[in-house]
Amino acid sequence: MEAVLSTEKHALAGGHAHSESFIRHYIFSTDHKMIAKQFMFTAIFFLFIGGAFALFIRWQLAYPGQPIPLIGKLLPSTWVNGQGAVTAEWYTQLLTMHGTIMIFAVIIPLLVGTFGNFAIPLMIGADDMAFPFLNMVSFWLFPLAGIIMMSGFFMEGGMAAAGWTSYPPLSAIASTGQTLWIVALFLIGFSSILGGVNYITTILNMRAPGMKMFDMPMTVWAVFITAIIITIGTPVLASALSMLFMDNFLSTSFFMPAHLTVATRDMSRTAGGGQPLLWQHLFWFYSHPAVYIMILPGMGVVSDVLATFSRKPLYGYKAMVFAIIAIAFLGIIVWGHHMFQSGMNPLLGTTFMVSTMVIAVPSAIKTFNWLGTMWRGKMEFVTPMLNAVAFVSMFVIGGLSGIFMASTPVDVFIHDTYFIVGHIHYVLFGGSLFAIFAGLHYWFPKMSGRMYNERLGKLHFWITFISFNCTFFPMHILGIGGMMRRIYDPTVYDFLKPFQPMNEFITISAIVLGFAQFILVYNLLHSWFYGKKAKRNPWRANTLEWQAPSPPPHGNFDTELRVYRGPYEYSSPDSVQDYLPQTVSPEELQEQNERHRQRLAQQEHAQPVA
Amino acid sequence: MLDWLPENVSVFGEGVDHLFTLIYYISVAIFILVNVIYVAFIIRYRRKRKGDRAYYYHGNNLLEFSWTALPFVLFLFLAFYSDGIWESIKYSDKTPNPDLVVEVMGQTYMWHFRYPGSDGIFGRREARFMGTTNPFGIDPDDPNGKDDYTTINNLTIPVNKTVLVHLSSMDVIHSFFLPNMRVKQDAVPGQWVDVWFNSVKTGKYEIACAELCGSGHYLMRAVLEVKSQSAFDGWLDEQYGGLLAALNAPSAVPATAPAAQDQSAPAASPTH
Ligand code: HEM
Ligand SMILES: [Cu+2]
Ligand SMILES: [Cu+2]
Repeated sequence: MEAVLSTEKHALAGGHAHSESFIRHYIFSTDHKMIAKQFMFTAIFFLFIGGAFALFIRWQLAYPGQPIPLIGKLLPSTWVNGQGAVTAEWYTQLLTMHGTIMIFAVIIPLLVGTFGNFAIPLMIGADDMAFPFLNMVSFWLFPLAGIIMMSGFFMEGGMAAAGWTSYPPLSAIASTGQTLWIVALFLIGFSSILGGVNYITTILNMRAPGMKMFDMPMTVWAVFITAIIITIGTPVLASALSMLFMDNFLSTSFFMPAHLTVATRDMSRTAGGGQPLLWQHLFWFYSHPAVYIMILPGMGVVSDVLATFSRKPLYGYKAMVFAIIAIAFLGIIVWGHHMFQSGMNPLLGTTFMVSTMVIAVPSAIKTFNWLGTMWRGKMEFVTPMLNAVAFVSMFVIGGLSGIFMASTPVDVFIHDTYFIVGHIHYVLFGGSLFAIFAGLHYWFPKMSGRMYNERLGKLHFWITFISFNCTFFPMHILGIGGMMRRIYDPTVYDFLKPFQPMNEFITISAIVLGFAQFILVYNLLHSWFYGKKAKRNPWRANTLEWQAPSPPPHGNFDTELRVYRGPYEYSSPDSVQDYLPQTVSPEELQEQNERHRQRLAQQEHAQPVA
Repeated sequence: MLDWLPENVSVFGEGVDHLFTLIYYISVAIFILVNVIYVAFIIRYRRKRKGDRAYYYHGNNLLEFSWTALPFVLFLFLAFYSDGIWESIKYSDKTPNPDLVVEVMGQTYMWHFRYPGSDGIFGRREARFMGTTNPFGIDPDDPNGKDDYTTINNLTIPVNKTVLVHLSSMDVIHSFFLPNMRVKQDAVPGQWVDVWFNSVKTGKYEIACAELCGSGHYLMRAVLEVKSQSAFDGWLDEQYGGLLAALNAPSAVPATAPAAQDQSAPAASPTH
């Protein structure tokens, strides 16, 4: 019956309806895999925009006031001065948009939007998300928000320029670009909540028969917990954004004290009585958990990749799950560590320091368990594995630098210096982005049905890994030297002048780092069309997505699925092969073993002859 | 790496730097430990032949427990050790008695400093009087405020004396950063925060703004001059004397405080 219906549909679609189905298929798609790809390509597009902004910033820091090479003269006069050098106004917009784009339009959409969408239904054996339509809306809010945010370029006063943290009063007395920033973030938050609700429902309700919660791969656990954080935290950000919008637009005073002296704006309508610190509390109540939104899915992906390519069960699976839950819970009560020097009561500094030190513990647990996973493994260093291995090491550096900042007296000095910039990039680039690289290569065969080019993958990894460390490690030293973040020209300060050679070194490394990303894009795009055709399970992995065809059709699986065991039964003595998929029943396993033994025996027979 | 720290000249800065050093060595030790193990694993546990099998093992609860407990103890120790120093720097009941009180006001993009004048008393201030000509909002009717002395981008203090700063901002959030004193404190409009420090060495140091306050943020630089007590007294007498002379001079135009090398804002209206 169904077959008949679908052929009828095809017949109908034959004529004029073709363009419509193109739109349904590629644009307003409700298929989770297509939505994942849409998130991926949009986010990678933004990665290059944000990256270009970073390079402009770096150019100015290394060579203050010097024209941007090649393109400086071509840029509009609102961005550069007569010689083609970055202006201070544009610089401030650049650093604001760089941070905002990388966090909200690159890392979150890649980890949550792309991997969440692609991997969740496949890894739990579902045919799609619980709410495909919501899923589509969740995606489309994202480019819409991106366009709104970037349209500040065409407004008087340019884009938002109060930093990605947008502290009022600065952000409440700002140009139109700031208002657009607020609206855009609000929409992205809306998109996140839609996604979050969808993941939670899907994971709770649509697991394949036999799959218990503790049979779920770490990626699924991580996205599940992340989705819970999203649904708890994002409404708080939304309320804070609404208040900031009103302070900007309607002259309310949620964050505004009375009698501010502001030249650029008539403050007589602002009654005052508000509290600038209120914004910081609300913002960090969301944004500290948000940093875990940006790392937990990465940790999940890395756990899966490490186990697969170590050919070993994930070490301490339950401890890993509990560590994620602990991070999520503690993550809600540490926001004040961003505010040690903000003027809040120092007693709160003490309590937030203690909770922050405690949250480092589950991070340590995860690190040790990853080491345990590799211990006595049989590691295969393909591109996903290289990136995952780098993740662990970089995350250790990011976690350790976190300890410096968690220690309040030390933070007095390093707060708002390049030390923080170093920390952020070790966790978000060294951590999240390397996890994303691992995941992109790991699931590429499933997504596209083809293999990526291993040599290009490795080349990209090594150039990125080396230039990443050359770019961001010295930033800790700049921070120790006292260089403030978000300054346009460090040479204004005598005590920062000795650091100029280091700033130049960083900029050169950053340029290499930026251009190396073209290798990634070339590899992905070229392989998408011309790569070697991928098998169903090229990595010999256990989890469910590898039971589907590559790429999976609409509806995902062509076989009935039933889950018999956990996701990490690698090198199990029960199986002759070194992996044991979750879906293989005990009877099938016996047959498989039998077949395999016969094949081995035949090979042994055949060998001496050949 | 810590050699890159700017020279510390404050009393509590030494404790801070010790803590910094301690965490640094602990971090380096952990980093080396983890990465040596890591690299050893990477070298040793590669798959060399097809058919190689890994060790089938799911984990060990005793190990899990110990690598939970050890970091927990270490990090809590760091928290409590840090807190002792934090309290002594920041808690108001632990602030030593100040020898000099100065008010500091951040304004996009400069720092205003206010000394109490020869009477040693700050004039009353109120937010509604605040404006570009009266950054501190000194009440024009309060006689104590007449001789208050203000400077822009220059803070002069005596050596080996505890200086207490009342800090605020008149527009957006700034951050009062004295790298050599290991001091950083946000200046928040509508709110006054106390910061104290104590320099053990004379000299000229830099003051920066550490919180993004607009596109001129990087220009918000001031100079901190630490003088010997006698030089400081001489300097202060000079400023105060000049100010008094200007106050007593019968003139209709607001007197400009005869500042040393900086353009000072008029401290108060000269009418007697
Ligand atoms: C061991 C775990 C961690 C600790 C103890 C820690 C601690 C801290 C502290 C105390 C700050 C505030 C520093 C300051 O502004 O003075 C901070 C900032 C930050 N952390 Fe972490 N952190 C940890 C892990 C992470 C992770 C996993 C991420 C993200 C994936 C992250 C992202 C950030 C970001 C983005 C900021 C800077 C926000 C800004 O001011 O722009 N951190 N961290
Ligand atoms: Cu945080
Ligand atoms: Cu500033």
